[in-house]
Amino acid sequence: MQSTKTSEPIRLKDALLRSRCGAGAVGIGFTPQTVRSAYVHVPFCRHRCGYCDFALVAGRGDLVEAYLEGVAAELAELPWSFELDTLYVGGGTPTFLSPGQLRRLFALLTDRLALRRGAEVTIEANPADLLDARKRAALADLPVTRISLGVQSLDPAVLKTLERDHRPAEIHEVFAALRAARSDWQLACDLIFAVPGQTIASWQNTLQGVIALQPDHVSAYGLTFEKGTAFWSRRRRGVLTELPEDEQLRMYDVAIDRLTAAGFEHYEISNLARPGCRSRHNLAYWTFQPYLAFGPGAAWFVGGVRGTNHRSVFTWLKRVHAGVSPVAEFEILDAEQQARDRLWLGLRLREGVELETFRQETGFCVDELLGARLREHVQQGRLTVCDGRLMLTREGLHVADSVFADCVG
Amino acid sequence: MKTEQIRNFCIVAHIDHGKSTLADQFLLKTGAISEREFREQLLDDLDIERDRGITIKAQTVALRYALDGVEYELNLIDTPGHVDFHYEVSRSLAACEGALLLVDAFQGVQAQTVANAYAAVEADLTIIPVLNKIDLPVTRIDEVLEEIETVLGLDPSEALLVSAKTGQGVDALLQAIVKRVPPPQGRPDAPLRALVFDSKYDAYRGVITYVRVKEGTLQKGQRIRFMKSGTEHEVLELGQFRPGMVACDRLTAGQVGYVLTGIKELGQVHVGDTLTDAARPARVALPGYKKPQQMVFCGMFPTNSTDFEKLRDALQKLSLNDSSFTFQPETSDALGFGFRCGFLGMLHMEIVQQRLEREAGIDLVQTAPNVTYEILTRTGEVLRIDNPQQVPDAGQIAEFREPIARVTFIVPAGNIGTVMQLCEDRRGVYRSTEYLGPERAQIVYELPLAEIVYDLHDKLKSATRGYGTMDYEVIGFRPADLVKMDILVKGRRVDALSTIVHRSVAERRGRALVKRLKKEIARHQFEIALQAAIGSRVIARETISALRKNVTAKCYGGDITRKRKLWAKQREGKKRMKQFGEVEIPQKAFLAVLEAGQDD
Repeated sequence: MQSTKTSEPIRLKDALLRSRCGAGAVGIGFTPQTVRSAYVHVPFCRHRCGYCDFALVAGRGDLVEAYLEGVAAELAELPWSFELDTLYVGGGTPTFLSPGQLRRLFALLTDRLALRRGAEVTIEANPADLLDARKRAALADLPVTRISLGVQSLDPAVLKTLERDHRPAEIHEVFAALRAARSDWQLACDLIFAVPGQTIASWQNTLQGVIALQPDHVSAYGLTFEKGTAFWSRRRRGVLTELPEDEQLRMYDVAIDRLTAAGFEHYEISNLARPGCRSRHNLAYWTFQPYLAFGPGAAWFVGGVRGTNHRSVFTWLKRVHAGVSPVAEFEILDAEQQARDRLWLGLRLREGVELETFRQETGFCVDELLGARLREHVQQGRLTVCDGRLMLTREGLHVADSVFADCVG
Repeated sequence: MKTEQIRNFCIVAHIDHGKSTLADQFLLKTGAISEREFREQLLDDLDIERDRGITIKAQTVALRYALDGVEYELNLIDTPGHVDFHYEVSRSLAACEGALLLVDAFQGVQAQTVANAYAAVEADLTIIPVLNKIDLPVTRIDEVLEEIETVLGLDPSEALLVSAKTGQGVDALLQAIVKRVPPPQGRPDAPLRALVFDSKYDAYRGVITYVRVKEGTLQKGQRIRFMKSGTEHEVLELGQFRPGMVACDRLTAGQVGYVLTGIKELGQVHVGDTLTDAARPARVALPGYKKPQQMVFCGMFPTNSTDFEKLRDALQKLSLNDSSFTFQPETSDALGFGFRCGFLGMLHMEIVQQRLEREAGIDLVQTAPNVTYEILTRTGEVLRIDNPQQVPDAGQIAEFREPIARVTFIVPAGNIGTVMQLCEDRRGVYRSTEYLGPERAQIVYELPLAEIVYDLHDKLKSATRGYGTMDYEVIGFRPADLVKMDILVKGRRVDALSTIVHRSVAERRGRALVKRLKKEIARHQFEIALQAAIGSRVIARETISALRKNVTAKCYGGDITRKRKLWAKQREGKKRMKQFGEVEIPQKAFLAVLEAGQDD
């Protein structure tokens, strides 16, 4: 099953209009009201860390103004106004922006995208940036409800390998300061494990320390070596050695065990949250909800069309300022592809996919999509059916990509 | 056209010595093409030939050339230059009276040059030695002339110096062709005898038969008979290649051209057959050719079993234009239904495989090639084995025989030791060494063909930094201590991975092979044992550990497409895999047998 691609460039706006008219949208009566999520990519960092392959430029504060105008241009072309339940400002490093620039960004966003009552508004933050009281104050004035901190580790050696610019002690300081600034903020921690040189003991200490900080949400990501990053070539040259697979798996298991024992719910492959504190924005991805997206490399999904903006910050800037579509690629998913995406994304969640609902809403049976592979995965203990839901087993989590690849067909 | 005004000649040369460029120069100088049309390798019209810079099929062109007020017809018959296509060369030679022996003025005489020159001498042709590429900044003209004398026994003072690239010396060469190559014999009024020296299939015109009229006259509308196959046809069209097909009314004794008879299948036209007049037939046919013998075999299986019919059609279509490869249905436990294909050599095999994939769009799994063996059974029967599956139980074998080839190397004198070592390692039997000059030597060995086809050519090239060349001819079968080695994947024998090896190297090969397979087969969700065995005795073992981790933690901020693309790419890689039980074996693994020899 191949995605349909046409040679015509498509804008987010085209996708919206197209889906409104029924072309491209399969089976779902699309209205602007069904789009409740938006992602904004802030492509700035002080420094590009060796493992990072995200769309960003390092140390180019001079481009922020042009970027803000670019976001404004992208927003201006939306054909309707939207009311959001979730807004996610990610990066890069959003907190690289000055307090004034942050205020302007949010003003631009909320001008075109209304926030519904109780909306979740997340901003990603580099802990070191929030040592600055003015930045904390700026965030407190914005409609932000959730701060996702790039903690990564509490081991100085690991932080050094990862090229992060904060010290473990500063994490405690930032947590305390944020709690003092706004007690209603949800605080989330991003952690990275399986870093070259990291030991199980170091990882356990980090987990212990993070639990003590009492965050509302923890994401534990295994380090991946991405093509085009410094880590990729360092591994090739033998400067960095990937941890043995067994150790990586042990770290993953330890994280889940420790955090669930501390009261976190393991709700997605890499995500754990206190009851009631799951990331609603990320849930929109996993439950196949539509979302808008702005900024370089940002990916959107509207009316059965998935599009990705150009990943080069400069190309994106050039295009939006010239009034040209910043979309680098897009695909129009047919009914079956939509069903397949919905299946594997749903399986990322521990609660899995409700089979009957899936069949009714997509028109496809999981059996017909997975064929013989379904039985194989069930027999070999990677998938299980429980109360009418298909879900990954604890063992299945370890090889989830193999299962997902089969879902995609 | 009077026979005194006709000259038929071919160019024989080592690969890359500039044969096609010289042919293009002839076309240009005689006005057959314009300067604009003069482009490299004009005569090679198959894509793959162009890609690889080699000629596979013989091509022919009729040139008009005026000298001293007389117009001559020069028929050039282009020949393939690779060792796999020897038989094509000998075919072309039979249609000529003269041969240009083209030698690179720097590289000098090469193994292939020697083989071709001998063939031309044997065919009683007038040979004109030609040194090409004299425009190069570095040449060894004097040494190369000496080599021509020592190795080929030709008079170096008769050699002409040309640059096919710039055109220098080409006029003098054309004059030499007229003056030195004898005109063809044969009376135009004798009973017709025309040699079929090649044939080609054209989707619109059917079979195009290439002929050289030896005696008599061939005319449009004439009722003709193929003397060997006995079939009769009407001449619908005949003509010459100039270089495109140009129809004419008749071809008389000495001329070269094509005939269309409405035959639709290449198999109905036998190269080497003689055309004669049905009403006034000649009494004796011309001497024909030996049918080429396929010496290298491999299995070709569609990756997707539903493509079987498609593969059959594609093979049939290909064989329309290349009657020198054979195919017959084969069944493998591991690979399902496919075909056992026979080729003249390794290059021939590669070319056919590429054409199948390119022109028919079929994904293929190809098994490692093997040569033809002979087995004398205890009951006195001689079996011809072109597939390891056919090897009977050891108890039934009285004698296992393998094909032996006589291999001629021409190498820089400094590399003699290395090349001899290469041959000794491959069970070679030394025959002779001869110095061609102070710098270069010719070495002759008798080697098992199996040892040659796999990698000897590549090894020779790297051992001599590209300066060594080789040529071989199969001289017969000899008994050897051979065994069938099987490969077991997760306890099951994969028939397509079985090979025939010499007992003395079996263990080493077995170890190298399972090691190699371990690299090629991806980890699965379970452990996979890889074993090499002779009969029931396991001689080597490796284990592929189970895949335990395959999960991407992050989902790239909603960039689902990217993740999916990654899987699509992996899937693309899987397309060339074959499901064997629970194990997926990639195409490359089936060829690992080849490379395993290099690891030791």
